[in-house]
Amino acid sequence: MIDIKDLRKQARELLDNEDVKYVLGFQKGTATFMSTPAFITEAADTENLVWDPTCVHNLALYLTEERKMRVARKETEGKPVGIVAKGCDSRAIVVLLQENYFKRQDVHIIGVSCEGTGVLDENKLNRLLKGKAPLNAEFDGVGHFLVATKDGDVKIPANEILADRCLECRAPYPAEHDTVYGEKVDGGRLDPFHSLEALEASAVGDKWDFWKEQMDKCLRCYACRSVCPMCYCEECVVDSITFMVTPDTLPGQKANRIKWIERSNNTSENFGYHLVRAIHLAGRCIDCGECQRVCPVDIPVRLLNKKLEKEAFEMFDYEPGTDSEAPSLVSSFLDEDPNDHIL
Amino acid sequence: MLDKPETKTTVEEQFEPRIITFLCKWCSSAGSDLAGVSRMEYPANVVPITVMCSGGISPVYILSAFNKGADGILVSGCHPGDCHYIKGNYYARRKIYLVQKLIEFVGLEPERFKMSWISAAEGAKFTKVITDFVEEIRPLGPQEKLKVDRR
Repeated sequence: MIDIKDLRKQARELLDNEDVKYVLGFQKGTATFMSTPAFITEAADTENLVWDPTCVHNLALYLTEERKMRVARKETEGKPVGIVAKGCDSRAIVVLLQENYFKRQDVHIIGVSCEGTGVLDENKLNRLLKGKAPLNAEFDGVGHFLVATKDGDVKIPANEILADRCLECRAPYPAEHDTVYGEKVDGGRLDPFHSLEALEASAVGDKWDFWKEQMDKCLRCYACRSVCPMCYCEECVVDSITFMVTPDTLPGQKANRIKWIERSNNTSENFGYHLVRAIHLAGRCIDCGECQRVCPVDIPVRLLNKKLEKEAFEMFDYEPGTDSEAPSLVSSFLDEDPNDHIL
Repeated sequence: MLDKPETKTTVEEQFEPRIITFLCKWCSSAGSDLAGVSRMEYPANVVPITVMCSGGISPVYILSAFNKGADGILVSGCHPGDCHYIKGNYYARRKIYLVQKLIEFVGLEPERFKMSWISAAEGAKFTKVITDFVEEIRPLGPQEKLKVDRR
């Protein structure tokens, strides 16, 4: 068990010694009992830090935001940012380091191990509690969560309320860290690619029916893109800013402003968006599941990324977020890569 | 009023798939040229697009072609070791593999998207690949899953 006091003390020390600019962590939420991200600049505020199974967010996202702000302010040097990182957050940081998006000295990683549990899936929890508002959730150390509600405690098996990505997590211990709290554990409760099994086994037509129904729901709100720590491109292929087509764009210019994917909301374009996003995340997605969590219409976006993660792992023996020195999946190759798919 | 002359078709009209091929300039495109100058026969269903290297083919091209109604897509490059840019085709091999798996995962028929190695000397292989590809796509019918509906 991680003693939150240690974590707070560490954050306080970092701020007192002015080793970091601020500490990114989690604090108690105000709307629901789920925690929210906290940006702690004052040592006194470190008392607000929490670490519990409601800390779902991938804080690595804010490191990319920080980097963008630094570029905008034209800062070249700066103090690092402290970040409380779970296993998945730490993997995300490794991928960002691998891509040289920022340097290792720009970040001070306070690792926290998930210690065999993980974080809760709010949707699952709400479904199980049938509308009762949860007040607190505690892991009993074996296989159940004790969820406190107004009408007393409910005991729920961990496998039923943990987020899918935590059940399938392969590295719940933050490998990349400056300091780390919690026990080192390996693997999740289920097979790493468990959620793909049913869909992969189904027929082509059934797969299409499933995905068409899902994609037709898409609002193109781009929440999945906004929340993704890997989607840090200044300009996205689906909505070009520099080469926008506006009412005063001349016909000749229009012809040169190729739009690979339209903004219009229809099956084909929605597939285009999601498939391109999945391809862009091939070998980079570290399965933090944030895209799926924030989706307002519950599209299982994570499955697309998971599928490519599986292919990368099984065919190319590539695991994203393990080595910040290794070349990325699509910028490297091996002579013995599979050749059977080629005529 | 004149009656329209009755037209009787003796041959049942069959579906003619439209196939987009992305051919690398140095090998496959030259291979298709060789097929042409050698007067080899192959189905006219192919729309060839020459690219500088198979490694330069973005997955967006593939999705865009499906979006615009391609019934099948073939990406073709130099044999391993023959790339004009030394290693472009190796990158393509990985990338195309991932795209193939992804479109199969979302339920598009995997037969619709293929990759081949065709060298500049393999005009015969080009005609064979195309002929087989067309015959394989024909029973599948038009690709309407990823085609954009502009109605």
